[in-house]
Amino acid sequence: MAYTFKLLPVFSAALIALASPVLARDITHELGTTDVPDDPKRIVVLEFSYIDALASVGVAPVGLADDGKRDRVIAPYIDVIGDDWVSVGTRKTPSLEIIASLQPDLIIADKTRHTAAYDTLSEIAPTIVLDSLGGDYHASVAQMAAIGTAIGKSVEMEARITAHKATMAEYVAQIKPKAEGIAAQFGVTNAKGLWLHSPRSYNGSLLEMFGFDSNMETADGAVYEKVYVPTTLEQLSEIDPDLLLVGAYADPSFVDGWAGETLYENLTSVKADQVLPVTAHNWSRLRGMLAAEMTAADVVRIMDALE
Amino acid sequence: MSHSVTAHGAGKLPRGLAVGLALAVLFSGALFSLATGGRSDVGLTDLWAPEGIAATVIYDTRAPRMFAATLLGLNLSLSGLILQAATRNPLASPAILGLNQGAALGLSLGLVLPLFSGVPLQVMALVGAFGAGVVTFAISGGFTGRMDSLRLVLGGVAVGAFSYAMVRFAFTLEDELARSVVRWTVGDITDIRWPAVRRLALWGLPGLFAALALSQRLNLMALGQASAQGLGADSRITLLLGTLIAAALTGVSVSVAGPIAFVGLVVPHLAKLLFGGDHRILVPVSALLGAALMLYADGVSKVLTAPVEAPVGVVVALIGAPWFLWQTVFARDLS
Repeated sequence: MAYTFKLLPVFSAALIALASPVLARDITHELGTTDVPDDPKRIVVLEFSYIDALASVGVAPVGLADDGKRDRVIAPYIDVIGDDWVSVGTRKTPSLEIIASLQPDLIIADKTRHTAAYDTLSEIAPTIVLDSLGGDYHASVAQMAAIGTAIGKSVEMEARITAHKATMAEYVAQIKPKAEGIAAQFGVTNAKGLWLHSPRSYNGSLLEMFGFDSNMETADGAVYEKVYVPTTLEQLSEIDPDLLLVGAYADPSFVDGWAGETLYENLTSVKADQVLPVTAHNWSRLRGMLAAEMTAADVVRIMDALE
Repeated sequence: MSHSVTAHGAGKLPRGLAVGLALAVLFSGALFSLATGGRSDVGLTDLWAPEGIAATVIYDTRAPRMFAATLLGLNLSLSGLILQAATRNPLASPAILGLNQGAALGLSLGLVLPLFSGVPLQVMALVGAFGAGVVTFAISGGFTGRMDSLRLVLGGVAVGAFSYAMVRFAFTLEDELARSVVRWTVGDITDIRWPAVRRLALWGLPGLFAALALSQRLNLMALGQASAQGLGADSRITLLLGTLIAAALTGVSVSVAGPIAFVGLVVPHLAKLLFGGDHRILVPVSALLGAALMLYADGVSKVLTAPVEAPVGVVVALIGAPWFLWQTVFARDLS
């Protein structure tokens, strides 16, 4: 009897130690708390920034929303995750059937795009929802840590984040002296409009971190009002940044169509020859740590060229 | 102007007063449209003797947009007026007969399918509007000379629903394509420039004269298809001419601004309420009122959700839908 009591803590500890690998963990996210298996093997991700997270710790997803175009997953990611993933369709309307057929044990979804499908996704597999599309750079890094915890790789992820922060600090040190007093603005243009990425956006907050000013006031509203703001030429002429970085999805783009118009030609950035093209896909869609580093490298190059 | 058409019923207001009011509304609408926009520092006081950036803003971006709104109102209200008279159906309008949606489908196909990538979008819009019109009239029996009013509206709703279902499918495509299609199909005139205005005028002004030329035939249609026939105006020819004019006006409008509903439905009824049923008067008056409605809608679209602009098509629907409801419930000409 006495032995039994003495052994009880030992048994308990053994039981807990045995049980913990299969115990689910609670992950708190945008839409609540989800029990996530300890070591998920079949992960489906529905935004590009989540690929960045998985690639950061060497995990390959079984399915991902690549917009039906496999070349939208850039080479540095493919080097890590391979190209065996199954496309589950567009990020905007991923195919729930394909996701279900992959029998995932974890789905990582986006707040803006997939809140409406959250219940259905949760029936397929434990689903966590993060704010990739509407969040800024700092939120994106925080999401990386959350994903690290969710996939049971928090130690590796913390190491990657620490390295990333060090890299970014070096870039910031290079850019900041040159960015002082310059109002910079990033926007994407297709054939039908220009959308400026506000200071609340991923790119806007990055430019702010690099030490640039912004002339853009941010209104409250939905993601496509406060984060990605549709902008007319007249509105742009009021914001009038010193440096305008444009990612074009169409050739000729909507912004190209403004060439020759007095209002456009009189923009500070146009007169100073500082309307510069950047890669729309890398800047606007990726939103991960690698994307931030690529953006920073682009900005270093741009500022060197401007000198 | 004689009152030989009193059989159509006179308006409720003295004609001089009504015309004066309509002109005042048009003029104030034009000022409203010119005084609002993306730059908060360019307003009403800059309209007289603008200089510097204010002059550029007003001449290069706001004036073309103001004229575009005017011409869109003219085009769409005339389309509606002609369609209502030619089909003898008070519900006829570019949106109800599926012309708007057909044009939007044409645009979407042009944007989405590589097959049509060489075809200008305006041509796609015009072909879509004509195509939808032809199918709707075929369903209603219009080409046999025995148009069924109910079948016309049902046919139009079916054609419109089918076209728009196809358009909405494009919304589910990837972001950039979907955003382009949404911008095209929502009724949007932000960033309109002079070339688009010239295109609208090129079709709209001849359309106005064609409508005036057709106005006596439209009056005869009101007497009934058999009576019109008896008076030497073959109703099928009136219908065909009317449809061609309406489809052309709708097609060019959609190619510039996307489909804008309610203007073509609501304005002709308002004009009839104020000026009676003579189409020789209704044609210019509908054009005037349609333009005024669009100008106000344009102004409101710029201030409603500022600094982000609301699509003008949404604003027109916000104004037009309650009016149409009131008309349906209380006015006589729809009962």
